[in-house]
Amino acid sequence: MKTLRKFGFYAKLAAQNMKKNGKYYLPYLLTCIGAAAMFYILFFLSENDGVVTLRGGTYVMATLWLGSGVIGIFSAILIFYTNSFLMKRRKKELGLYNILGMEKRQIAHFLLWETVYTAVVGIAGGLGVGILLSKLMLLLLCAILRAGVPFGFFVSGQGILWTAVVFCLIFALCLLYNWYGIKRAKPIELLRSGRDADREPRTRWLAALVGTVTLAAGYGIALSVQSPVSALGLFFVAVLLVIAGTYCLFSAGSIAVLKLLRNNKAYYYQTGHFTSVSGMLHRMKRNAAGLSSICILSTMVLVTVSSTVCLYAGTEEALDKWCPRDVQFILREADEEAMYTVVEIVQSEAEKQGMEISDLAYVRFYVPDSDTDSAHVCGDALEEGSRGELVWATGDEDTLPDAYIGFNVKGGEVPTEFYDGVWDVMSRDSVNFRSGSEAARSECSDELYGMYGGFFFIGLLLGFLFLMATALIIYYKQVSEGYEDAEGYKIMQQVGMTENEVKSSIHSQIMTVFFLPIVTAAVHIAFAFPMITKLFKLFYMTNIALFAWCTLGALLMFAAIYAAIYALTARAYYQIVKA
Amino acid sequence: MPLLEVKSLKKTYTPRFGGAQVQALVNVSFSVEPGEYVAIMGESGSGKTTLLNILAALDRPTGGQVLLSGKDLSAVRESEISAFRRDNLGFVFQDFNLLDTFSVQDNIFLPLVLAGKSYREMSDRLEPIAAKLGIRKILRQFPYEISGGQKQRTAVARALITSPQIVLADEPTGALDSRATDSLLRLFEEINADGQTILMVTHSVKAASHARRVLFLRDGEVYHQLYRGSQSAEEMFAKISDALTVMTTGGEDLA
Repeated sequence: MKTLRKFGFYAKLAAQNMKKNGKYYLPYLLTCIGAAAMFYILFFLSENDGVVTLRGGTYVMATLWLGSGVIGIFSAILIFYTNSFLMKRRKKELGLYNILGMEKRQIAHFLLWETVYTAVVGIAGGLGVGILLSKLMLLLLCAILRAGVPFGFFVSGQGILWTAVVFCLIFALCLLYNWYGIKRAKPIELLRSGRDADREPRTRWLAALVGTVTLAAGYGIALSVQSPVSALGLFFVAVLLVIAGTYCLFSAGSIAVLKLLRNNKAYYYQTGHFTSVSGMLHRMKRNAAGLSSICILSTMVLVTVSSTVCLYAGTEEALDKWCPRDVQFILREADEEAMYTVVEIVQSEAEKQGMEISDLAYVRFYVPDSDTDSAHVCGDALEEGSRGELVWATGDEDTLPDAYIGFNVKGGEVPTEFYDGVWDVMSRDSVNFRSGSEAARSECSDELYGMYGGFFFIGLLLGFLFLMATALIIYYKQVSEGYEDAEGYKIMQQVGMTENEVKSSIHSQIMTVFFLPIVTAAVHIAFAFPMITKLFKLFYMTNIALFAWCTLGALLMFAAIYAAIYALTARAYYQIVKA
Repeated sequence: MPLLEVKSLKKTYTPRFGGAQVQALVNVSFSVEPGEYVAIMGESGSGKTTLLNILAALDRPTGGQVLLSGKDLSAVRESEISAFRRDNLGFVFQDFNLLDTFSVQDNIFLPLVLAGKSYREMSDRLEPIAAKLGIRKILRQFPYEISGGQKQRTAVARALITSPQIVLADEPTGALDSRATDSLLRLFEEINADGQTILMVTHSVKAASHARRVLFLRDGEVYHQLYRGSQSAEEMFAKISDALTVMTTGGEDLA
């Protein structure tokens, strides 16, 4: 009986605490709900019968599966980060409990309840939102894939199960981390940790140097990569280098620069610069990690959204490149005679099957560079010539060119007997080529829309998740800094700073802290641009102008959303500082 | 002409959610001559802090006037109040109110930087003050690296560097140990001997005994005052103690 009552006590205490710390807990809970909902929706779609039967369904499923994995991992990181932030803020309160006689075991108990509440609200809420939105998302996916709308409303049992399992694991991990932190800490430390004196940050020249070098190396790779295949391999190397460089430069580089500014007495001792430079110096020390995370997240949002949008918008164009006619045959290393033989075989077999063909075109071509697959340039080759010409020959090739033969069919229907007939006659007449392949535009179209549509869908969801993470980090930064800065500004007003001066000083600091990451992200994107365009070649995408527009559009939209987040959080900050 | 004139000052607080009004200051009048060193004493709740806030132009009175060099504080426009405070008043607080983001030197420079002074002028002004307060060696350090006594000297230096008409001190010894208290009080006497007007609010008898004149505040009114004249600090200490005893036991005949 006694233990039961105790149980109730901790449960109540935990609930009260979360309510009182609503400013911190509400965004956390919303994030958990959002992440769980997204995970459920992706899982639901990836095993939805309606999706399997869509055109290109298998590609979509694979993409969605991959996407749910990425979202799961990213949610774990995000929730873990938020949790550790909240714990850091609450150490003082826990220390007080400890000193007032609550044993560490009991604090652990109390934390358990908090985690249980968070988990229940997060998972149940996430599933609720996810189930409600799943139909809408299915409709969106069908619209993107240009498929018909499946009927009915389904709830995925597997999806519920897996969402619950994955997120329970994430929360369990957070709880273990919190328990470990409590176990190690001494009560006095807990009590004091809220107001650790903010030491003047040291200049770490080595870190600044390492940051400059890694960033330069990452940019160098991005700029110098020539072929799409090596771009694929080096892309992640470049990404890692840039991430490392960003972290180092934000933490060490910014402090080095600010210290140089401070040593310039004529600059430093001016009303506008004095408080900003010294404030920024201490702010950067606390915020370097958060700022570089925001910067990298923003870059990810921008790359993901712009490239998936671009791929999707360029699907028709890619299709024209890959499969410019309704039906096509590609012969590798074929001589001129082989091409004309196949043209004749195609015509006679089509007649046999009663197909009405038009726009017959054939061309032989050398691929422009050795890394490109001949299938990626059919459309380009066809623009050079369609009556048996040899295009893109440089004169020093030691192999035969590839040949393309394609035509349109009235009605679009192509019986399988046609293909069988063509290959049979080809082998009977022993036409001279190394290997050959056939393709129908309708199938290519299904495949491309399935793949790019899937990418696009995932890109949108991931973009949303990254954006949510960015907003969350920014919000927490603003709120926690508001409390830390309030004291300082009160003192400055007493010493004779006008309210306007206080405001403009706050404003310039927040602006810098806020827009530094997004400006850096824009620079990252600019350097990544040539590398991504190379990668796009693997996806039949060569329209650089389209990608440039997509990137610019994504950047502008992101900047607008970012500015809105800024306006909202800045208001929260002012309220705290003024109070 | 007195430097500071306080004429029948009143301050009434109206609670936000109704309830009884609180009269923090009922009717306070006194004046401070240039070069004086005045201590205002009173129990907590006597209106000391309210009075100081009004003198510092951080709060507005409900009635009465405060004149600094003949200028009415309530006539200073809201937009100029910060500059007025910066140019005419120096502050010393109980908990020092130094900024951890600035070095000791930069903390002292703060009001001058806000006033737009050049670095050369600032360091010229700092030199004699730092020498007098004995803080030359710690100018490069940060507030969290120095002792309480050193912090309060830094705060005093920050109050003096603008050459204010009057220094307002709010419980300046409240957070100091006895040695640091002694040395700060000696410092105040020296500064006052150099001609600086000081108005200190305190409930420490020891701190008040170093002033040239002590005003006693009770229930929002000036209840009594003592002049030190040629008495030593110890004699003054005894007189203040007597006065406080009478005040708290409810004597009515002193005023």
